[in-house]
Amino acid sequence: MAKKYDAGVKEYRETYWMPEYTPLETDILACFKITPQAGVPREEVAAAVAAESSTGTWTTVWTDLLTDLDYYKGRAYAIEDVPGDDTCFYAFVAYPIDLFEEGSVVNVLTSLVGNVFGFKALRALRLEDIRFPIAYVMTCNGPPQGIQVERDIMNKYGRPMLGCTIKPKLGLSAKNYGRACYEGLRGGLDFTKDDENVNSQPFMRWKHRFDFVMEAIVKAEAETGEKKGHYLNVTAPTADEMMRRAEYAHEIGAPIIMHDFLTGGFSANTQLAQWCQDKGMLLHIHRAMHAVLDRNPHHGIHFRVLTKCLRLSGGDHLHSGTVVGKLEGDRDATLGWIDIMRDSFIKEDRSRGIFFDQDWGSMPGVIPVASGGIHVWHMPALVSIFGDDSVLQFGGGTLGHPWGNAAGAAANRVAVEACVEARNSGRELEKEGKDILTNAAKSSPELKAAMETWKEIKFEFDTVDKLDVSHK
Amino acid sequence: MPGPSSKPDKYVGIDNDLFNGMTNIGKTIRDAWVFELIPETETCSGWNLAGIDALLQKVNAEWDKYGCLVSRLPPELFERHQRIHGEAVEKARSLGWDGEYETYSDQ
Repeated sequence: MAKKYDAGVKEYRETYWMPEYTPLETDILACFKITPQAGVPREEVAAAVAAESSTGTWTTVWTDLLTDLDYYKGRAYAIEDVPGDDTCFYAFVAYPIDLFEEGSVVNVLTSLVGNVFGFKALRALRLEDIRFPIAYVMTCNGPPQGIQVERDIMNKYGRPMLGCTIKPKLGLSAKNYGRACYEGLRGGLDFTKDDENVNSQPFMRWKHRFDFVMEAIVKAEAETGEKKGHYLNVTAPTADEMMRRAEYAHEIGAPIIMHDFLTGGFSANTQLAQWCQDKGMLLHIHRAMHAVLDRNPHHGIHFRVLTKCLRLSGGDHLHSGTVVGKLEGDRDATLGWIDIMRDSFIKEDRSRGIFFDQDWGSMPGVIPVASGGIHVWHMPALVSIFGDDSVLQFGGGTLGHPWGNAAGAAANRVAVEACVEARNSGRELEKEGKDILTNAAKSSPELKAAMETWKEIKFEFDTVDKLDVSHK
Repeated sequence: MPGPSSKPDKYVGIDNDLFNGMTNIGKTIRDAWVFELIPETETCSGWNLAGIDALLQKVNAEWDKYGCLVSRLPPELFERHQRIHGEAVEKARSLGWDGEYETYSDQ
């Protein structure tokens, strides 16, 4: 007998609040931090979020009689207090895997952070974490190469890699820009990087930049005997144009290209990542615009979610924050999403802001890139915190060396090698950092000058986006 | 018709540059002094961009002989480098420059 259709308005919790539900291994799970409007019961607003991020918009018409709503709907199955904050609460929602297209981060985000964020019953809403089931992970391509393959391509093992963003100061011509890359690479860096704002502006069109940078890479490789790379930014106004630039980078022999995954979009990013996988190219991912989404502790998308989405969409590097330095983030939370980038299984750990176990199976990892406001004095802590599978990227900490770019690069290279050697011999980097660097500087005037340039600098800004347990 | 450009077409001279020349152009001029491409009395005041760029190419060619590294300079050049750049850093510090200034534009 067919279901009976009843016209009228039902409360969301009648259909979408299911505290008795046990999530399936195949469910996509989400944790939202909900700040409700005054007077709206928690269960009702949690159910509303589950509804409006799944099948809520399907149910006001008779079509729910034709589709199996009970199968496709999101289920709000738990509610928890937010430590130290009475204005909001956590709601846990389970979504059936078939609600989403396979291999489509775009589709998942369109539902989970779509219209629901403008819902009137909410004052604010933040997606804190997602658990992607292994069944869904396996439908996604993921990072084009992964950490081990990158090490093989770059022939670099047993230490963090070093990078530097080349700033387009003084309106550098493409030739002079290439020269700055060469100096950095010649001095000891593994990578240089296009500034994210550099795409293909009138002052430096992409093709000229690519040609001169490639010349710099070839020259630096020939003189150092090491493999070198530069993140050629292929972020472009259209996906077609992005692919045209990527194809050219591949044609001239570049080992790595770069994309801004949030401003460029997940669809373009996934397309590029799949192409890189096919061509054997590395893909560096910048995160411009992330703070718009992740900085407000009550509204938006937490960076750990963006990290998971990027790993599924594809990228070999992702900027992670530094923990130390001018742009420091909360240490525990940062360590949490660094694990999410690199490890194959991450256990639920609220002390790091991780709400769910996450199994990546054999999907390759993403290398975290520590970048922003760091210099040679931070090296011991960076090596200790990030370990070997990382890129430590010193911008001003390289180019700001009073003797020039190559000297800045040499200082950082000597420092990182000294720290790794000390660590490998059992010394405690963060305690003995000064001694380790001072000793290394005896044979490197470049490092000595760098230590004099940046000595005694302390940045003591408070972190805006702390773990919830630290709020209040 | 384009209006007058706000961009200066002449270099102000290293002694009038930020922190007495703690800039890319200032570093180029000091290196040119080190390699004796120009006399140490030459501040490049009034030079146009083409002149500065030509000097940069000459400086780059000199650095290429030593792998761009100060530590590879022969003793005489190394000492000149230490003296010229050391004095510049000292002067810049007295004007308020420090390493933090160099990381302002980091993201």
